[in-house]
Parts: sequence; C-alpha cells; structure tokens
Amino acid sequence: MEHSILTLSDIAKYPFIPEASEYVKRLDFRIENLLDENYAPILDRAEKRIIDALTTNPPKVSFNPREYSEDIEIISFPVAIVLVSALANEYVKKRYALAEARRAYELLKEESEEKIVEVAKKFGWRIRFPGEKIGLVKFDFALNFIDYLRNISALSHEKDWKLVNRPVLRGEVHLSRHDVARLLQEEAQRYIEAKIDPKARSLIPEKIIERLEKLRQAYLDKMRESPAESLASVGVVSDAFPPCIRQLYEAAQSGRHIPHVGRFTLTSFLIKIGMNQDIIVDLFRKSSDFNERMTRYQIEHIAGERGSGTKYTPPKCDTLQTHGLCPGMDDLCKRIKHPLTYYLRRTRSLKRKAK
Amino acid sequence: MGMDNQAFIYRMFSKFYNENIDRIETPKSIENREFGFTIFKENVMIRHKGFMRAEDLKEFIRKTVPSNVYYSTAYYIMPEAKMDEKGWLGSDLFFDIDADHMPTECNKIHDTWTCEKCGLTSNGVTPKKCPRCGSESFDEKTWPCEKCLEAAKVETIKLIDMLTGDLGFSISEIKCSFSGHRGYHIQVESEEILKLDSTARKEIVDYVTGTGIDAIFHGLELINYGEARILVGPNLDDFGWRGRAARGTYEFLLKATAEDLKRLGLKSRVINEILANKNEILESWKTSGPWNMVRGLGLNGWRKIIQRGISLQSAKIDTVVTVDIHRLIRLPGTLHGKTGLLKVSFPASEIEAFDPLKEAVAFKGGEAKIYVEEAPKFRLGDEDFGPFKKQTVSLPLSAAIFLLCKDAGEVIDSNV
Repeated sequence: MEHSILTLSDIAKYPFIPEASEYVKRLDFRIENLLDENYAPILDRAEKRIIDALTTNPPKVSFNPREYSEDIEIISFPVAIVLVSALANEYVKKRYALAEARRAYELLKEESEEKIVEVAKKFGWRIRFPGEKIGLVKFDFALNFIDYLRNISALSHEKDWKLVNRPVLRGEVHLSRHDVARLLQEEAQRYIEAKIDPKARSLIPEKIIERLEKLRQAYLDKMRESPAESLASVGVVSDAFPPCIRQLYEAAQSGRHIPHVGRFTLTSFLIKIGMNQDIIVDLFRKSSDFNERMTRYQIEHIAGERGSGTKYTPPKCDTLQTHGLCPGMDDLCKRIKHPLTYYLRRTRSLKRKAK
Repeated sequence: MGMDNQAFIYRMFSKFYNENIDRIETPKSIENREFGFTIFKENVMIRHKGFMRAEDLKEFIRKTVPSNVYYSTAYYIMPEAKMDEKGWLGSDLFFDIDADHMPTECNKIHDTWTCEKCGLTSNGVTPKKCPRCGSESFDEKTWPCEKCLEAAKVETIKLIDMLTGDLGFSISEIKCSFSGHRGYHIQVESEEILKLDSTARKEIVDYVTGTGIDAIFHGLELINYGEARILVGPNLDDFGWRGRAARGTYEFLLKATAEDLKRLGLKSRVINEILANKNEILESWKTSGPWNMVRGLGLNGWRKIIQRGISLQSAKIDTVVTVDIHRLIRLPGTLHGKTGLLKVSFPASEIEAFDPLKEAVAFKGGEAKIYVEEAPKFRLGDEDFGPFKKQTVSLPLSAAIFLLCKDAGEVIDSNV
C-alpha cells in the first residue's frame, strides 16, 4: 500500500476504511473475545453506537475521543456491524448505516483537503484539490463525474445537486468541501449497509445474543417503527391523507387485497408527497402476493425512473369515484377535485393549528 | 407493400449482404450482446438471439436477409435468456438524435400523415390527436430531407462538444453513425460508464438537454458593490453550461423580436429598452456583461432570458433511449428497412463534412423502372430526384429501392 497520511486517530474517526479492518486483524481480535471481561468496554461502545443511532434524530453516532480510546473506537465499529446484522431488522440496518455516515460527514467537514482526499480515495474516488476559482466562487475539489453520479441518486431531486447545475469541465465536477463531505456520507452509508449481513448471527456466542435480545426489548418501540411513524420524521403527514388514500393505506398495512387501480393510486400519491421508496415497498410487504422485485419495479415505474420516464400523478376525484375508490366525501373533499389538493390544504391547516 | 415489391427488395438486400457482408461492424464483446431482427415476410421482431462469433452473425444475416438488424447496447451473461434472466453486466452510453424529435426549418412539410380512423390526411408534423375525429393512431410517411438531416447534425455536434469538453470523453471513444433514416447515433463504449444505472444516465440526459438547469447556479447573482447591489452573470468564454448559457443568451438577443421577448412575460417598457439598446447590450459582453444595462430588468427577468438561451444550446436527443439500459439499436453496416440506406459509422471528428445522403448509399450501379404514387424531391449521392406524382420513371437502383422501401410506388422492371 502506498504511504498513507492517516493516523490512528483518523482511523478511529473513519472506522470503515480498509486501514481500520487491517488494524483489527493485526490485533488478532475475534468475536469470542467479547466474552472476556477485559473486552467489556468494546462491547459497551458497540452497543452505544447502535443506541445512538436509534435515539438521536436525525440519527448520528457520537464521537467522543476523550471517553473512548482509539482501540475501543476502531474495534467497536465492526462489532456493532455484527450486532446490527444479528438484529436482522431492516429499519435498524438503514438507521445505523445513516447514523455512522452522518458522524463521518460531520468529522470530514472539518478536515484538511489532504485528509478528505485520502478518505475519498479509499472508496476509489478520482478526486483532486486544485482550489480553482470559477466566477466569484472558489471550488476546492474536482471529482470525476462518474463518481459524482454514483453518489447523488438520493440527492438529485434537489436542484442544486443536479449535474447540470454544477460546474463540469473535462470529466470533473468542481465541488466545495461541504459537498465532498456530503457525497462521502452517501458512499459510506451504502458501504456500511452492504456490510450488514443477517447471516452473521450464527457466528455470535450465545451470551452475546442474550444481551442483544435485552437491547431489542429495551428499544422495541424504536425498532418496530411502522412506516407511518417513521414518515413523521421525513415530513410525510399521514393525518392529512384524504379518506380514499387513508382507506387504501390501511388496507395495505393490514395486507388486504387492493385492486390494481387502487395500488396505482396509493403508490403514485405516496411518491408525490415524497415518501421514501423503501418505505412504500415495506408497506406492501404484508400483501399475500407480495414480490419485492415486482413491487420495486412498479414503484420505480410510477416514479418515472423506468420505462417512458413519465412521473405518474394519482387520478383525480371523479376518476376515483368511477373506479369505486371514493369511500364518501368529507367537508374538505367537497371543495377540491384532486386527492393531492386535499393533502396540501390539510397539511397547511394542520401546521397552522400546531402553531 | 405489394408482394412483388417485397420480393424485389428482399432480393436486392440479399445480393447486398452477399457482396458486402464485411461492411457489417461486429460489436465489441459480441458474445454478450442480444440481437434482434425483423424479417420481410412476417412483420415481427425476432429477439433474444445471441452469437459467439462475428462469422456466425454474418452467416445468419446472409441466410435470413432481415429487413432490419438490431443489437443491444447492454452486455449480458446469457443474451439469449428471458429478459429477467439474462444477467445484465452493463451497457454502453447511447444517444439517439432524430429529426423526428426536433423542430426543423422545413417544418416536415414533406411528411404526410393519415388518420387510421377517419382517413383525414395532411402534410407536416403528425398531430397528437386527429383534428377531425380525435383518434390518436396515424399512418405516417416521413422523408429525410436535407434540412432535417442538417438539424440533426447540428444537435449531434452540440452533443459531441458536451461529451468531450464537459464530460471528458476522448473523441476517439465516441462512435458516431448515421442511422440510415433521419438521424445520428452516438455511442460511448468506455469501461467507466458500463455500470451506470438509469438514474445516473438520466442525470447525463438532463445535462445534455439542459433540463432542470437554473442560471442562478451558473453565475447569475446579485452582489454587494460598495453601497449598491449589482447583478453579475456568466461570460461568453466560461466553460461548461456557464459559457453555454452566456453564448445562448447572446444568440437569442441577437435575433430576438418584440414578440419573442413578450412571450417571456417581460414588460413592454423593458422590451422596448432591450430592443433600442440591442447593439450596446451585445457589445457589453466584451466587458462586464449586460446585466445592469436595462432598467427594470433584474435577476428574475434575466433568468427567463437566459433560459431561452439555454434551450438554444441544449442538444435535442431522444431522452427515452439513453436511460433505457436494455435498448436494441441498429447494427452499423446493415440496411435500414424503411430506406434501403446503410447505417454507417464515421469518426466523430469528421462530422462537419459528413454527407449522410452520400455515405449511406448502399446500392451502386443498376437501374429499376418503377411507378411512383407520390414522393417529394430528394437527393441521393450527387443526384436529385423528384418530386414525383403518379408517374413511371427509370431510376438508379438506390433511388428506386429508397422509394419502394418507403412504400411510395410499385416495381415494374429492373436490370439487376
């Protein structure tokens, strides 16, 4: 390996880089070691990492170099990965990966250009820091545009992340330090999610599984978070659903059969109001004929990411009446012609009431 | 198409492939590509074909004489398997620039459409709905005219400029070809882009078409200048979309009429001031730009004007094709069933001088006598033909086959 400028304390900050796992290997650490009292601080810290992810909002794993030695910080990361794997809960997996990635983002923002580039290169990024001034703005970094595209899929609905709104020259996107740190967060989140493998449970000593079950019991309410609840955090207000959507939504949650038009209506509605696609997939999971690939395909199709690229809008009220999907109108329904209008008005009035 | 016509075209295509089979360009990693064909007799697509070697593909084409030959931009583990079992390995980056999808100077006046329901027929761009009966299915007859082809070429040149200057592909990585009808194909076979998913490809599409772009991300902003607030904007020689936005704006203002500006929602006082000071505004680009020259025209007004400039600079591609990572495209070196012209590749660096109606002519020598129902004036090679209406003419083979493929007449006799 070429000479690295990353120190032990850097590895503790970014425990997902290859140097970290090499370090753990050199220490000859094994999962069975955790049964040994001397390793208790590592297990505690690993558990704390997961609890941080579950209890902070937006989720972020803590960073406290005074409390934890570098060794503890570095080893507790792969231990936490194994524990999260063993919990085998999709929500915890996503939440944990996000919390670790956000921790890295906050730390990266404060690093020197050299360090940021060094971490980015661990993910194979082609990045330099020419520090060029374009117009009035100084852009510290230049990143290969393919590496940029690979990391904006969750961001590109925001206008300023679109490639077309970035300075692009000879295959490189010019970026600020903040932007590079944000893209690295995306990369780290994907990387960590991919590391979490439910099969790891079989490798874990019984004693630790017991402890894990205690953790599960203690945070049951967090882990069982239903789609509707987790939505609250991303800004989807289920209280503002019109009667037709509420009926379809509840039918989906309880696994009752929904005709094709109904599924289309519900899915296109939820996409339009910005619900995360993974959560929509989860919503249909209870349906007797659930097929993840098929469901995902249909959602992507309706979102305009496949086929003709058309972003579908839910049908308007009179079409829903035609298809027998209108359960009867309330007062607000009588004043609008489209379920999305209902939702908009209701969210606004709920906000006003909250104030 | 009458049976005789079809038999004649089949015979000519067969003769062509027998004599020119090595014009067919074998795609990279042929064993991982899916092939598709349409055949003359049944008008159906045969898909999911695979070939291990170039010779096998050529042999197949020589034997079956397809009316059209396609292959996948995608690479698969098993190209012959069902769609969801093929095992997608990656896909070339592909762009289709077709005169069908862009406004042209000729207004497609040479094209005709006939409503399949009520029979209404007219010239020009096919409407979305039949103005008489509201039906949405039409029988179309389209013709590649010089203006259509020139418009497609201009868009292709803009695209090549973005792919090289902005996205950094080398000109030698960019495969350019004439489609054999009304457009150009651009294919990038770089390792780098193989694995890009549809979402990432959509970002590239949005980039080259200028979709979702906003001038405020390209240098247009209000800044403090001592006590005053002044507007700054992009310069003509800036790189990427920044420079393009400026150059497009310049181009737009150069030709803009009061009507054009009114359509942007500008106030008539502002419009008059722009038109009265046009020369000064254009001149100002040599120094600090026109951003503070027109009273009453602020950030939002300029934003709208720049937007018009951007649309002049964007490349009009068929957006659906590029994001489709399972697309079948015409194989270079094969004949287009609707024209009898070749899909021909050429170096992207030579596009300016490329003459599609010369380079794509497949049939050299020979003559045929045909009855032409109706055809506009057209050129093949160095010769002009037509317009024809209900007449019998002797034509060079290439022109005769062109008209027969277009279903514009009946073959009577041929010396081939």
